[in-house]
Amino acid sequence: MDLVQTLLDGLMVGGLYATVAIGVTLVFGIMGILNFAHGQMVMLGAYTAFFVVSAGLGFWPALVAGMVAMGALGFLLERLVFRHTLADHMQGLTASLGLIMVIENLAAAAFTPDPRTFDPPLPGSFQLAGLTLSSQRVLVLVLVVALVAACYLFLQKTRIGKAIRAMGQNRTGAALVGIRITQVTSVVFVLGSAMAGAAGVLYGSLFAITPYMSAAPLMKGFILTVLGGLGSVPGAVFAGFLLGIAESLGSRYLSASFRDGYGFILLIVALLYFPRGLFGGRGKVRV
Amino acid sequence: MSLAMDAAPAAALPRAQAALRERLATAVPWAGWIVLAALLALPLVGGSRYLVYLGTLIALEAALATSLNIVIGYAGQFAMSHAAFYGFGAYASALLITSLGLNFWLAVPAAMLLAGVIAAAIGYPALRYTGGVHLALITFAFGELARLLAANWDSLTHGPMGMRVTYSPAPFFGIDLSSGKGLYWLAAGMLLACLLVALCIQHSRFGRGLVAVREDETLASFLGINVVGYKLAAYVISSMLAAMVGCAYAPIMSFISPDLLSAQETISLIGVLILGGIGTVAGPIIGALVFFGIPELLRVARLYRLVVLGVVIVAVVLFMPKGIAGVLRDRAARWKRGVR
Repeated sequence: MDLVQTLLDGLMVGGLYATVAIGVTLVFGIMGILNFAHGQMVMLGAYTAFFVVSAGLGFWPALVAGMVAMGALGFLLERLVFRHTLADHMQGLTASLGLIMVIENLAAAAFTPDPRTFDPPLPGSFQLAGLTLSSQRVLVLVLVVALVAACYLFLQKTRIGKAIRAMGQNRTGAALVGIRITQVTSVVFVLGSAMAGAAGVLYGSLFAITPYMSAAPLMKGFILTVLGGLGSVPGAVFAGFLLGIAESLGSRYLSASFRDGYGFILLIVALLYFPRGLFGGRGKVRV
Repeated sequence: MSLAMDAAPAAALPRAQAALRERLATAVPWAGWIVLAALLALPLVGGSRYLVYLGTLIALEAALATSLNIVIGYAGQFAMSHAAFYGFGAYASALLITSLGLNFWLAVPAAMLLAGVIAAAIGYPALRYTGGVHLALITFAFGELARLLAANWDSLTHGPMGMRVTYSPAPFFGIDLSSGKGLYWLAAGMLLACLLVALCIQHSRFGRGLVAVREDETLASFLGINVVGYKLAAYVISSMLAAMVGCAYAPIMSFISPDLLSAQETISLIGVLILGGIGTVAGPIIGALVFFGIPELLRVARLYRLVVLGVVIVAVVLFMPKGIAGVLRDRAARWKRGVR
């Protein structure tokens, strides 16, 4: 029973990681923009939700507000910064490191470093077949599955989704068949940022919000993107659940204070034996 | 700048003037060395305790940036674990000295050796593939892992509260290193050692091979360069130097905590490199002077200092990707050719 409970807890936290990982997969795996400031969007999304809920508007408007606000921020950042660094991975990475410093310290000044929490829409817990389940965690899991499914369908079925996947395979080729690269890049960035906002809102409904909360989700997002195979949405989601379970088993049976460390060990081992990630994805060249 | 002006040949200048400009332009690096020597020797003539302390900090940061430049600037590999090795050096030397009673000058090579072994173990899986993204991610992950380890291994590192360091380094060939000025000489010595290694690499076959790897890994492998080996060597050397500088950090600060290993430190070092000019010898030093010196003199609150630095990093990446030293070098080259 204890094992099943731990596995379920892992699954729910894993869903959160999967949401962050999808955003990173879109922006980094498909577009090739190494945006380390993605974690900052998770943090700002959580703060947006905190302020909307504190204003008495409830959880659902907060979720929408978080996604819209981060989508808008993503649009701005793409226009002002990342559009100009598309040619060079490392330039984009460095610019995003600068953005981290700006956003994090401004947030610390504006919101104060005190941890904040807001009331989840479904408090309490319920019993099912002898297991205790937190209602909010189950809701988060359901929402994550819905978001992931929507995102996957969008990429597979819509015209612009196909354009995005085409660009992921070969940017020059996509441009040659008439895909507007700048427009599609903008759409991907907005979508990825909105997913980060959603992840932030869900994060905030489970954990405390601080200006410095972004490092862990960011790193996990990147780890999962690589673990799942660059550019593979199903891979990122699968890896997300895997990491959630690994962390939950590790902190239950090994050491809880080392919780964030298990993912890093998983990544190092995975890259040693599965350098292309679990779901293949784009190959890496060995020289 | 029009194309026509760019193409204007140097012959447009009178020969005597061209020769003078040539000579002046080659003198620029020498002038740089003289300025550096003057800056380093400043505490000989005096200066308040505060200035000496500030100089110590800037020298340490410049040494770190110089060592990071070897792997990022020359080899073009984005290593994000520099602060982790810096902190590793500080912890390892402090533990070796306090619990094993080792001499400071024996603890430094011991810590460097350990760091080199770890760097090789981390670097090999990450560097087998091209693209550099793997290295950035694995080293970032390793850095966080090291920080967590330092924060949680209470019995060894005293956990998140940090460790007090009470020893001072043994005299170095008769130079007393225990006073404030002595510690400054220690930091300056670290900077000079890192500079020496960087210069030796830059002027060697190995260094030219690294630049070839940075520019095009496939082409470099066709030229007979062992690409993985070269990248790994650059990463290991750079990490060992970081550990060496870390050994100096412990007695200078007389306090070490897991925060030292945080990714923020590496990020600000990369900022220093970008600002000063990546892949140049002067860049890391100019960057450290601007990045740490000017805000200190302006006395801005720490929070806003970091915000301003973030804005500077983004602006430099977008508008001046070669950094201060890169722009100066290009200016000098154009001026020499008589192109405005």
